[in-house]
Order: sequence, then structure tokens, then C-alpha cells
Amino acid sequence: MKIAYRWLNEFIRLQETPEKIAEKLTATGLEVEGIEPFESIEGGLEGLCIGEVLTCGKHPDADKLSLTTVDIGAGEPLQIVCGAPNVAAGQKVIVATVGTTLYPKEGEPLKIKKGKIRGQVSMGMICAEDEIGLGTSHDGILVLDTNLPNGTPAAEYFSVEHDHIIEIGLTPNRVDAASHFGVARDLHALTGEALQKPDVSEFEVDNMKLPIRIQVENTEAAPRYSGLSLSGVKVAPSPTWLQNRLRSIGLEPINNIVDITNYVLHSFGQPLHAFDADKIADHTIRVKTLPKGTKFTTLDEKERNLAEDDLMICDGNDKPLCMAGVFGGLHSGISENTQNIFLESAYFSPEYIRRTGSRHELHTDAAYRFARGTDPNATVYALKYAAIMIKSLAGGTISSDVIDIYPQPIENFEFSVKYDYIDRLVGQPIPRQTVHTILSRLEIGAQSEGEAVKVSVPPYRVDVQQPADIVEEVLRIYGFNQIEIGTYLQTSYLADFPQKDPYFIKNRLAQTLSGLGFFEMMNNSLTSPRYAAALDASAQDVEMLQPLSEELKVMRQYMLFSGLESIARNINRKETNLRFFEFGYTYHKIDADYQQNSHLALFVTGLTHAASWHAPAREQDFYDLMGLVQRIFTHLNLTEVSKTTLQEDPIFDYGLAFYAGKTLLAKVGKVRRQLLALNEIQQPVFYADLDWEALLEASSLELTFEEPSRFPPVRRDLSLVVDKNVPFARIEELAQKTERKLLQSIDVFDVYEGDKIEAGKKAYAFRMVLQDKQKTLNDKTIDKTMQKLMRTFEQELEAVIRK
Amino acid sequence: MLQDKINALIEEVNHIEIRDAESLESFRLRFISRKGEMSSLFEEFKQVPSEAKRELGQLMNALKQAAEEKLKSSSKALDRERDALAASAIDVTLPSTSETLGSLHPISIVRNEIVRIFERIGFNLSEGPEIESDWYNFTALNFAENHPAREMQDTFFVARHPDTVLRTHTSPVQIRAMEKQSPPIRTLSVGRVYRNETISARSHCMFHQIEGLYVDKNVSFADLKQTLLHFAEAFFGKGTKIRLRPSYFPFTEPSAEMDVYLGTDTPSNYQLTKGTGWLEVLGCGMVHPNVLKNVNIDPEVYSGFAFGLGLERITMRRYGIKDIRNLTENDARFLRQFAGAI
Repeated sequence: MKIAYRWLNEFIRLQETPEKIAEKLTATGLEVEGIEPFESIEGGLEGLCIGEVLTCGKHPDADKLSLTTVDIGAGEPLQIVCGAPNVAAGQKVIVATVGTTLYPKEGEPLKIKKGKIRGQVSMGMICAEDEIGLGTSHDGILVLDTNLPNGTPAAEYFSVEHDHIIEIGLTPNRVDAASHFGVARDLHALTGEALQKPDVSEFEVDNMKLPIRIQVENTEAAPRYSGLSLSGVKVAPSPTWLQNRLRSIGLEPINNIVDITNYVLHSFGQPLHAFDADKIADHTIRVKTLPKGTKFTTLDEKERNLAEDDLMICDGNDKPLCMAGVFGGLHSGISENTQNIFLESAYFSPEYIRRTGSRHELHTDAAYRFARGTDPNATVYALKYAAIMIKSLAGGTISSDVIDIYPQPIENFEFSVKYDYIDRLVGQPIPRQTVHTILSRLEIGAQSEGEAVKVSVPPYRVDVQQPADIVEEVLRIYGFNQIEIGTYLQTSYLADFPQKDPYFIKNRLAQTLSGLGFFEMMNNSLTSPRYAAALDASAQDVEMLQPLSEELKVMRQYMLFSGLESIARNINRKETNLRFFEFGYTYHKIDADYQQNSHLALFVTGLTHAASWHAPAREQDFYDLMGLVQRIFTHLNLTEVSKTTLQEDPIFDYGLAFYAGKTLLAKVGKVRRQLLALNEIQQPVFYADLDWEALLEASSLELTFEEPSRFPPVRRDLSLVVDKNVPFARIEELAQKTERKLLQSIDVFDVYEGDKIEAGKKAYAFRMVLQDKQKTLNDKTIDKTMQKLMRTFEQELEAVIRK
Repeated sequence: MLQDKINALIEEVNHIEIRDAESLESFRLRFISRKGEMSSLFEEFKQVPSEAKRELGQLMNALKQAAEEKLKSSSKALDRERDALAASAIDVTLPSTSETLGSLHPISIVRNEIVRIFERIGFNLSEGPEIESDWYNFTALNFAENHPAREMQDTFFVARHPDTVLRTHTSPVQIRAMEKQSPPIRTLSVGRVYRNETISARSHCMFHQIEGLYVDKNVSFADLKQTLLHFAEAFFGKGTKIRLRPSYFPFTEPSAEMDVYLGTDTPSNYQLTKGTGWLEVLGCGMVHPNVLKNVNIDPEVYSGFAFGLGLERITMRRYGIKDIRNLTENDARFLRQFAGAI
């Protein structure tokens, strides 16, 4: 909302700069978003002055140009080359001197430079109307009829107005301040400077030439409807000062009548509507709704289908003239030929206006105010003010009484607020007198009733409904920044924290992962439906009813694809060696329920590191990622994790599933090629999807330690040739079953398939560590144990032990 | 004689030159090993008459000591030589393998910092779903039936009548927290929120909020101010000035916005604060009595304050990020720069 500083000054004397006033407004809750200078003519005619053409002769080298000398009141007369046919000696003209910037009506600003035109020096320019933004005429230079001395600034001659426009970001609760007067009221409350409300006591009915009958059929939608008529007005452009006022807040002047209604709206917040009275059949106004589907053409020449609760202003034939409080009709408004007018000033129900405004997508200044709640008790004042102004600017006479249909006057809203409540909510005592002063300056009645103040809130304060609202009113004027606070932070209560703190654990893991070279991703949870479609899961998509685009239509059901999108983006930017993790949710619609699952996703792709002389880089693979996942398990103190091989998984070519008991903790593997293809990724990507809730649940705070054995471990290497279908897990399992006590660990250091062994076979070489916690192992025991293990491998796996 | 032989060997030990590992080993085999010179000397020693044994024994011992001494010193010298050689051969300016450190996402970094500040003063964490019912997202928070946020152009709806939306703020978590627990309550909620906005450099349809709530007896506006000042000083630095401006939110009354004074000394601060020096940081206020009533907390007995801020904005400010899309694109070249965030 734009507020003009000089306009505001009409309602309250402003003794400070616009910047200071802006600070005060912001402090009361009218947030100033910016201050812009306003000049009624762009550029303010800066650098232009009145000059007199002393001599005017032909340019020696150009037929159509004249060579002039011009006196601008100072120094030597200037030689100026002029192309206008009407230039002549003795004329008073507007001169742009060198260095001046012109703001023409059309086109870009133009800077005047000293120059030569066809060999003759030209020290400025004699201007035409359109060249300086004053009009559209380019018939020749502007010749003034004036006695003002040469050198007088053009701005003075044309009375350029300067102002400052304060842009306020009005919060939706503050419709009371949606006018210059409303803003002045807040300043009045803050400073005590008197509020000046123009007097309308001179209002007088001149005659009864144009009586208008008003019938309000729907008083719920129009609780108050006031109006009067004027006859014999002359529709014409408004005087410059009024045009400037409107322009200063960004409104285009139309004609004196319409401009006056706009002026009153922005002065007092009361929307008015002017009808051409001769177009009102029967001189009767009916305020009513019309049958659904009735057609109505609005001022913007759009034909609209009315709904049954669109309130309409109709004439005696029930022909709609205007959408009440929202938008005028094409045929009933003020035209150049209008002589008689009916002026409406009403209070319409906010609900009706809001519905009609949003139904027809009409967001006019009037609708904005009616929809939020105007002052039902201010209609007649605005009407009288406008009538006086019309008479003075457009002539005519007031030709009817003020007709005022207000069957059930809306009273002030009254309730009590305990002083103690104010003090407690604020946190410090506010003197009672201060409370009273602030409230009454805000036009809220305040009467002391023992320990409480009885307040009487005018109906236009739609946001003041209960004691907390009174506290806000008092506090915003008293000053949020006047509230004193103690030296120390008061914390009388500390909240409970869980022993197993998910936020802490998540962070610890995130730190570890970043230490392992992972970047944390944050992907949009809105995504394309094609991913779920690729996995036949579309039925569980949570879909937006009004998506921004196809690419952002559903909530993600997989961490995988949003991660792959980011990976694809990185690959395109030549970042191909990647480790990423993301903590996030997936979202699923299960029947009528929405489910949100918490995940930790890990992605590795590309080389382990950039090419290096020191350690050769290699492709990251499944084992790299699996190792990282196992580190996460260790980090979360998960000791009892079992694993199974993934079989025909829709996402993974191959991989492992990890479980705690029967709960799935994670799946780790290589992503299927056709899923990578959805984002045109060529290089293999390894992905782990960890169920974060399950991990947290399975993680344990119980950490026990065992005294390390004081007896030395013994290492024995073994090489087995087995059928190539025998997975290593089988060997490990057998070994552990066979020797529970002494076997501490098995580390595979070689896996071989090839010509050196029989076809269809595979060789594993591994190191076993044996240790007894009670004593040093002797050779005999070691040999016995190894024999037992080898025998088992031979029997169970038909293994050949390579010696 | 044995004595001469031993003396000769001592002489030899003292003068022998050990140049490398090989000569060191042959020295060891000859003079230290039991199978070397010593063994034949012992054989001869056995034949020596008892009265001469004492003197010869001492002499043999001297030989043994001399040999051991020689071995030790030569070995040390050889090690030193080898190390020196190795040291001169290595180029320490060659780079290490470039396995780089990863990083947390900048949103996480700033979120952690803010959470830590409030955890220290007794705020725990609460969570709620991102797909919310109308009740939690709007009605319970005192949004009027016709509030513009309830319109399709501002909010993502996934179902209508009854309405289900992607939460537009983290405030629904306040309602859930107050339903679950009676006062006192002192909690933070952090998470993703959604608005129906086209993605551009300055706006996104998904972003993060962090929100605090404190409800107890006699919680006042002054308490709110004190808590916010604490936050501002912890986050922006000791001595940071704040100011509160009246504002409007349906779920607080009085409502305010907090600005932090950054000054206009640097061009970026000037630009950021539109020349005022003040940066808008968060919205806050006293919990609206209607909200308390909606969760069956008696506003006559209890009062509370709440505050909330957008993580993207404050993160972008902290790191000078100009385009919000950087925060969801996960460009490694962008994320890499946060490895050093402390």
C-alpha cells in the first residue's frame, strides 16, 4: 500500500522527515518496505529553464535547421542549433542545458551533450512538449507566454510537485490502516500529535431534483447502504493537484468524478461508487442477488456469469449495474456525457465480498477493503465529503437527501481486560493511564472498572476481539522495544531429553560419513511420477491436486531417484567420483492413510579418488559401499546383524539385505541399469537404503567391554579350492560353527578363478586368527584345531586344501 | 697360543670395516654366532689348564664384548646411513592421495547450530508429519476459514474435503506437542515445509523451518524478548542488537518480527538491509489464546511464546549464497566448500 507523505500531512502534522516517519510507522506495526521519491513529472524537469531566443538565423549548411542564440539569464547567450520550424527570435522557450537528462514521453532518457550539428556548435536544446515528458505534442518547440525572467527553473513554471511515497506492507489484520487517515491515526496514537479530520458540516442539500429510491433486499450482505444524488455536474479531467495525488500512489486519473471517489477511498478507506443516474431505470436502486447464471458485463468488458450469492446493485428493472463492492458495470458508470450522478457509500458483508471477489478473480481496491471489513459507521461522512468535493470540482448541485438504509446499526464491541492480564502477558507493569491514553487515541473507548479496563471497540477494528488483542494494541504503541528484560535468561523449566537422542545420533553419523568423504544431499521431496511408475508403485503416489509441473507432481516414494537426479547433474558437470548421503523421508499413500518413512540413503559411484601417483584410483564397487554400511552398524553399536543375498530385487542387480532379527535394516547393492537410464546415467552406481527408524530401534546404548586377552594370537593361512557356487559366507559360517572357542576372525586375502585351477572351481585364501583367552596356545592344540577345520571343509564343501 | 689368537681376533674386531648389511651379517656370523670363531675358541678353552682359565676367560669375554660393541655401533651407523639415504630420496612436496573430506549440507550446519543454541537453554525436539490435515496446519492455529493460505494458489493440497495439505510451516508440530504433553512445554521443531511457489533464484516450493514453543504459567513477552536476544547473541555474536516490530500471524497475539542489526558498513550488509542496517530474522509472538483453547490448555492459567524462522534465508545470508536452488541441486563443487564449516 502506498502512502504519500504530503497527503498524510493533511490529516496529521508531520514534523519529521519521511525516513523518521517511516521508522515510527514500522514500530507501530505498519511495516515500511521502502520510500520512493515522487515527481509529478518524471525527472522533475531538473536542468531545464526558461530562455529567450535572441537571434534566429538559418544554419549555413542545413536547410531545415536554424542557428539561434538564447539567453538563459546567466553568462553569455548560448548558441543552439534548433530543428523546429516554429522557432523565432523573441520567443520564451524551455532550454535544456548541457548535462541535463531529458525524460521524454516515449523512449529512453536522453542526456544533452555539447556537440556540433553540421559543423555548428550547439550548447543545449530548445525543447518540445513530448521531449520533456509534459505532453504528446511534437508539433514544434514549446513557446511560453510568460513574463518570468530568463533562467527561471522550468520546474517552477510548471509547478512540479515533489513528494515521498511510503510503501507499507500492510498485514491482513490491519484494514483499519488501509488509508491515509488510518495511517495518521497510528501516528497520532504514537506521538499524540492532533488528528485532523476534515469537517463536513458545510454539507447541505441544494434541491430535491433527483430523488433516488433505494431498496435493500439482502440486508445480510449489505448491512448499511447510503447514497445521494447530484445533478448538473460537468465531467472533466481533474485539476492537476488531484491528478498528482492519485499518480503519486500509482493510480491513473480518469475524470473528476471517478478521481474523487478514489481520492476518498485512499483518504478514509471508504470505497464509493458513482453511477450515471440517468442509466438507473425508475431512479430506483435495488441491492439484491440475482438468479444463478445471470450475465453481467463488468467495466473490463468481460461478460461474467453471476452466482446466486453475488450481491448486485440493480436498477428498478432488476437490471444489474454493478457488482456490489467489487467492480462496476460497463454501462452504468460515469462517462463524458454524464450530468446526473448517484453516489453510493455502503458497508457490505466481508464474506459476500470475499466470495464474489475470489470467484470472479477481481481484486480491486474496494474489494480488498470491504472483504476485510470497512467502518459501517463511516459511510455518511465519506458521502458528504465526496459530495462537497464534487460540487467544488465538477459543479452541479446536491439533489437528494442522504438516503441511509441501516436497519440494524452495528455497535461497538465491549469487553473487560484485567490490568493484571496486560502486565503478566507483557512481563512488566504498564501504567493504567498509559493503557487508557493509548486506547483512546486509537479510538477504542477505555473506562476503568476496578481491576479491569472496560474497552469499547469500534466495528472497523476487526482484529480486536479479546483481551490478548488489547494487549497487542497497547504494546505496539507503547513500543515492543520499551519492554525491559533482565540481565539473565530465565529458564524455570528445562525440557526432557530422550536418552537415545535421535537428533544427536543422526548428527554423529552425518559427521562420520562426511569424514569418510560423503557429501550430504538435500533433495526436493516433490518429484516426477515416472519413478514410481517405473517400479509399478504409482498407486501409492501422494499426488498434488495442483502440481507446479509434471516434474514436481508427487511426493517421492524413493530416496534413490532424487539422489540419482543429483548424481546425474554432477556427472553432467564433470563431477564423476561421488559419495553422497541423505537423511530424508519417503511418502506413500496407503489406502486412505499417508505414510512417511525415514531413511538414510548412501550413494557411491565413480573412482575412489582422483588419479594419484601414490595409490592408484580404482572404481568404487559394491564392497566399498558394503564396508561403509557395516561401519554404520558398528557406529550404532549393532552387534547382531544378519544378512541375506538379494534375489530378483526390482532396484538392485545384486546386493545384500541386512536384518536385526526379522527387521530389515538396509539393502545394499548395484542399481539396475534401466533405473539409472531414467536419468541417463551411464556409470555404475552403488546404493544403500537404510531404514532409519529400524536402525535407531536396533541401535543400543549398552556398550560393554571385555578385557583383551594377554595371550598371543596365532595366525594360520589356508587355501581352499571349492565349487565356484560356494559363497564365502558358507565357509565363514562352517568355520565359526566348527571352532567357536578359539577362532577369532577370518580374513580373505585372495579369491581366484582361472586356468591354474580346475574349471568350475574357485580358490579362496584366507587367514584365520586363533586365540585362547586363558592360556598360550601350544602347537598340538593348534594342529588339532586346524585339522578339525580342514576336515570339515573337505567333508561339507568337498574342498581341496591347497598345500 | 690361545691367548695370542684371542688378542689377534680382538685386534681384528677393532679394525674390521663394516660397510653394508652383508658385511654386517658375515661379521655377526663370524664373531657373535655360536657357530663362528667363538665355538672353536671354546673348544680350545676346554683344553686350557684350570689355573690359566681365569685370565683367558676374561680375555674371551673382552673379545665377545668388543664384537657385540662393534655389531651394535656398526648396525646403528648403517641404519643412520640408510635413513639418510631414504630421506634424501623422498620428495615430500608430492601430493598425498586426494581422498577428500565430505561435508554436511549447509542447511544442516546452520540447523545444528541453532538447535544447539536452544538445546542449551532447555528446548527439546519435537516432530510431526509433512502431510498434514487441515486441523493441524490451519484450524487449530486459528487460521480463519477464509484465510488466503487456505487457497490452492498458496498451498499444496493432496486431498480436499476434508483438506489434506503439505504443511506450510512447522507450526502444526506445536499443536501436536501441546496435545501430547501438558505444560510446561519447551520444544523446537525442525523440518521441511512446502508452498505452492514456482522455483526461482529467490523462492522454492520446499524449504526448511525451525520453530520454538514455550508454554508455562506466567510466560511473558519479556521472556520471549530475552530468549530471542540470547539466540541473536549466540548466533550473530555477543552484543548483537535486536528490535521487535509488531506484525501479524493468526496463531500469535501480540505478534512480532525480530530484526537484527547488521549495520551498513559493508556493501553486502547495506544491500541486505535495504540501507536500514536491520535484517529481518524471524517471526514470533505470544501464543494466541484461541490456539491454547484448541488444545485444551486454559489461557487464563497458561501463556506461551513461539517463534519461527526459515533456515534457507539465514543460511544463504551466512554464506553469501545468492541462488536458493544451490541448496537442492547438491552440486559437489558447492557442497565441497562446506567441509571446513565448524
